[in-house]
Amino acid sequence: MHISIFGIAKRNLKRKFFRSVAIALSVAVVAGTLFSITTVMESVELSIMRGTARLGADVMVVPSDAELKARAALLAGDVATFYMPSGVMDSVRRSKGVAAVSPQIFIESATFDCCDIADLRLIGFDPATDFTITPWLKERLNRELASNEILVGHEVARETGQRMKFYGNSFTVAGKLESTGMRFIDNSVFMPMQSARRMISESATKSKKPLAIAEDRISAVLVQVDPAYQPAQAAIYIENAIKGVKSVVSEEVISSVRKQLFVLLKSILMVSVVLWIMALLMIGVIFSMIVNERQREIGLLRAMGARRNTVFGLIMLEAAALSALGGVVGIAAGGVLLFSFKNLIRASLHIPYLWPEPSRFALLIAVSLALAFLTGIAAALYPAARSSRMEPFEAIRKGD
Amino acid sequence: MIEIKGITKTYRAGSEIFKAVDNVSLSIGKGELMSIVGHSGSGKTTLLSLIGGLTRPDSGTVVIGGTDLWSISDDELSAFRNRRINFVFQFASLIPTLTALENVMLPTAFGKWDGNVAAKAEELLGMVGLGDKINNYPSQLSGGQQRRVAIARAFINDPEIVLADEPTGDLDEETEADIFQLFHRFNSEKGVTFIIVTHNKELAAKTRRQVRMVHGVMGES
Ligand SMILES: Nc1ncnc2c1ncn2[C@@H]1O[C@H](COP(=O)(O)OP(=O)(O)O)[C@@H](O)[C@H]1O
Ligand SMILES: [Mg+2]
Repeated sequence: MHISIFGIAKRNLKRKFFRSVAIALSVAVVAGTLFSITTVMESVELSIMRGTARLGADVMVVPSDAELKARAALLAGDVATFYMPSGVMDSVRRSKGVAAVSPQIFIESATFDCCDIADLRLIGFDPATDFTITPWLKERLNRELASNEILVGHEVARETGQRMKFYGNSFTVAGKLESTGMRFIDNSVFMPMQSARRMISESATKSKKPLAIAEDRISAVLVQVDPAYQPAQAAIYIENAIKGVKSVVSEEVISSVRKQLFVLLKSILMVSVVLWIMALLMIGVIFSMIVNERQREIGLLRAMGARRNTVFGLIMLEAAALSALGGVVGIAAGGVLLFSFKNLIRASLHIPYLWPEPSRFALLIAVSLALAFLTGIAAALYPAARSSRMEPFEAIRKGD
Repeated sequence: MIEIKGITKTYRAGSEIFKAVDNVSLSIGKGELMSIVGHSGSGKTTLLSLIGGLTRPDSGTVVIGGTDLWSISDDELSAFRNRRINFVFQFASLIPTLTALENVMLPTAFGKWDGNVAAKAEELLGMVGLGDKINNYPSQLSGGQQRRVAIARAFINDPEIVLADEPTGDLDEETEADIFQLFHRFNSEKGVTFIIVTHNKELAAKTRRQVRMVHGVMGES
């Protein structure tokens, strides 16, 4: 048996158990909040990036009375339908700043003897011009979709190879898209425009719920803007050139949420920074108290041959152990809360919501842990340094 | 082996300067056993702390075995205390979170030690009559027992010098005599140098050399 600095530190932490717990807890609260908020912010950022990348379109041109519906569709994935003449597409293509265009038609899947799953958005896209789905097809499927094949978004409850019925037509799922966090895509079913048209016309005979959408109608024109122009600028050119349409800039829709959300998250972050400073001060005060209480003991250790650095190390060891423990507990608690309330967070923030990439996640954890660790270290630094520098005799006398 | 030359230690209380130890010179040979007597407040504890390198004198030098305590670094001084000096303090000096045995072993936490430290600590506790209390915490020991643990601790590092400040203050007469006997034994068998502050004139008389402190000034008696 022998006796070590670690052993002495451990006993000291147990001595005032509740005080130790209080210190660890305050670090846990700070680390947990900071970790949770940054994780949510990171998730928002990530899902927006992925969503816009997957959509591939800078501007979405829709009928002017459908602007709000279109925004809601892009943002929250609301399933809504609206139609305009397909001739709009040619006008858009000719508009200033437009690099590429592609039409889409939206059909809502309904309940009751028509479709396997209700409230899905069926999107007909034009394989010749599309830039939303085609990149994925090229990369993953390496062929075009057959007329009875569909692709499903990540949230659609069907797997590759399974069949789905819409308006009397049976389709085979050829692939499932990865999660984008954007319900506009995740909750949609994609089919070539040809198939959509066929489904519409055959619904009159095959389905009890016929669709009444004329051949020359489309729902939206997706636009890729010439890099030399701002999307917002191109959008204005389009609205000026064509009557009866509105241009929804996807970046704007998404960044407006981001702005609102970030204002909210930032204020929470501010609160947690204030919390952090308070924890820092509190732990500093507590450690001053601890060191004062133990001044005579510290003097004794010094008299028996403990070096200044040994005494300093002993106190820092205690602080480090408590803050590391607090950090781990806080981050674990934050993680558990984030995970168990992920649906609530998703719903209440009205955002597509994803976990960050594993590497980013690991970084967030590491940074939060380091911060927690530093909290204890920084708070104990001054008391530890002061008490370890005191003359042994002075320290012993102070305890009298 | 201990050469003290003109050490003075002053305290400042407000505007007044108070000399707790006033120009004390003392030469103590190896293996001596001496006692310091004096009224309370005469500077005995301060003097012992100066000899043990626990506080820096305002002037004068303390040289032990050729080493001027205040010419070496603080780390070297710590190591010096750890290896060559040990203390019995005037007040309760046990760490409350450590058992009697661990308290005795405590000095060995600050250096490298060969041999079975725990066995040695146990043996020392036996010598002070606490062989059956080695796993008791200080709160489970009487004041006198705590004092004896502190005395056992003073020998764990095989010190050359033991500085004992009223080491038997709270012991009954019989135990007090036993402890003094223990000191004499370590002194004659191992050549440990003792400087003992005591109020017990009888026991002081039994030491080979006595000095008296009066208002910080030293006089042989
Ligand atoms: N830190 C201090 N500040 C002011 N005065 C002190 C301090 N330490 C000791 N003294 C004074 O120095 C004098 C000597 O104290 P001390 O060495 O403890 O005497 P003794 O051990 O003989 O009772 C006392 O009058 C005491 O009040
Ligand atoms: Mg005294």
